[in-house]
Amino acid sequence: MIRIDGLCKKLPDGRSLLNNISFSVKAGEFVGILGGSGAGKSLTLRCVMGLVQPTAGDIIFSRTKASGEEETFCIQNLSERRLREARRDMGVIFQGGNLVKRLTALENVMMGRLGHISPVRSWLYGFTDQEAKEAYEVLKSMKMEDYASRRVGNLSGGEQQRVAIARAIFQKPALYLADEPVSSLDPKNARKVMKLLKPLSKDKPVIGVFHQPHLTAEFCTRVIAIKGGEIVYDGAPDLDAATLAMVYEGELEEVAREPASVAADASSGFAAEEVASLRPGTITP
Amino acid sequence: MSGIDGYDFRRYRRPAAYLTSLAALIALAAWQAEVDLGMFFRNADKGVAQLGAHFPPDSSVIGIMVKESLITVAMALLATPLGGAISLVFGIAAAKNISPPFIRSIARGLISIERALPEIVVLLFLIVVFGIGYFAGIMALAIGCVGMLGRLLGDAIEEIDKKTLESVELVGVTRSQLVRYAVLPEVLPAFISNLIFRFEVNIRASVVLGAVGAGGVGYELGKAMDLSDYQQATTAILAIVVLVLLSERLSDFLRKKVNAKSAALA
Repeated sequence: MIRIDGLCKKLPDGRSLLNNISFSVKAGEFVGILGGSGAGKSLTLRCVMGLVQPTAGDIIFSRTKASGEEETFCIQNLSERRLREARRDMGVIFQGGNLVKRLTALENVMMGRLGHISPVRSWLYGFTDQEAKEAYEVLKSMKMEDYASRRVGNLSGGEQQRVAIARAIFQKPALYLADEPVSSLDPKNARKVMKLLKPLSKDKPVIGVFHQPHLTAEFCTRVIAIKGGEIVYDGAPDLDAATLAMVYEGELEEVAREPASVAADASSGFAAEEVASLRPGTITP
Repeated sequence: MSGIDGYDFRRYRRPAAYLTSLAALIALAAWQAEVDLGMFFRNADKGVAQLGAHFPPDSSVIGIMVKESLITVAMALLATPLGGAISLVFGIAAAKNISPPFIRSIARGLISIERALPEIVVLLFLIVVFGIGYFAGIMALAIGCVGMLGRLLGDAIEEIDKKTLESVELVGVTRSQLVRYAVLPEVLPAFISNLIFRFEVNIRASVVLGAVGAGGVGYELGKAMDLSDYQQATTAILAIVVLVLLSERLSDFLRKKVNAKSAALA
């Protein structure tokens, strides 16, 4: 479970980026955070990841340890070592995946468990066959097993995104965080990725930052809208037109246009995948 | 003056001004260095005579020269990986995205100093420490790698996508694991390619270092010249030419292989 309480972030010059953000998400919820650009969606998520130190507020993240007891972290005031421990239980998925391009898909997935391996072992031995097998199974569940031994840099955007999700799943986290996981994808691949994210929320909380209200309406269980660093809506995913207009203001037109282009882009998305696999020197083993 | 409507036309004559000042500087340097073109022609016959004294090459020392060439290769072969290992440490320490600012500035400083020192200066210092011989030569060559390889590696690491490093860090890894799984995979192919190139440079450098006492075929050349045994010197020079050409070929071949492999799997 994750609870955010009165989260504020101010710049040194006094400008306020986040103002009193409070919400909590529990297992079974797939929360979509919406908002115009610069509203503070990603910043909220980066505070949860411990990448940005908030000016005020609490971020309380609790997980159940293997021994069965509950452990609670206050992300905003952890030592580096404790922060690493907390992060091991956060499955993070970024826009574009942000994977290590020169390693294979399988190696990238295995990296999800890197935090649970001692540095000595990671230098001298690496991953066990059992871990490799499990990672392969996860890739298989993403229908990516044919790409296991291909370098991630050779994969298309949608494929990389699926590897990133596989990595997060392999990590066995207590919470999933997805920062614009579908923003760089065409509509067809975006829906594919949403379909993969949805089941993760069955037993773990999932928080995602999205730009497409039609996708959050379809897949999320709850939507939080942020505007100017404040929560302006928190509730059912099917926002009415008036609320959407309020959330997005001038940007609404661009957001609303996207669903219309689904049909037009569906074929081009497929073509991109084809082209990627036809690049010279990238023959699938 | 030369302006109309505040427009300055003088900017178009600046190239001429630069060229004039450059020519003046060159003339000043030539005067300071006592350049005497006349001497070139007056002593031309001496040069021809000297060339004549170098021929025919002394074939009786071919065996020695081959053996000494192999020693030169062995020195470069030992020095290059050693230098590569030192450069790896310095390169990682010099990258601002994975190294603390304090350590980074020390590493960058040492790399810059090394770059400023020619190998021969390093060798002269090491000869005092370790005495004349192969060991001082190998150490000088290894240290000589750090300036180039360390800097190239540090720059390459700094160019790694920040988002990639962040995403691996968010798995909850230590810095050493980050280096092992996110940094090295991205920079290793280029580093190996540079290392092979450095092997070629080290062969040439070890010839020069040999002449000042580090041993190998360069030492034989220096000795023969000192003893005015010019025909023996020619044999040494031929051995060096063959050695350098071969190492160049080998390095080109290996680097092409590394690059082709990394491009295919990029």
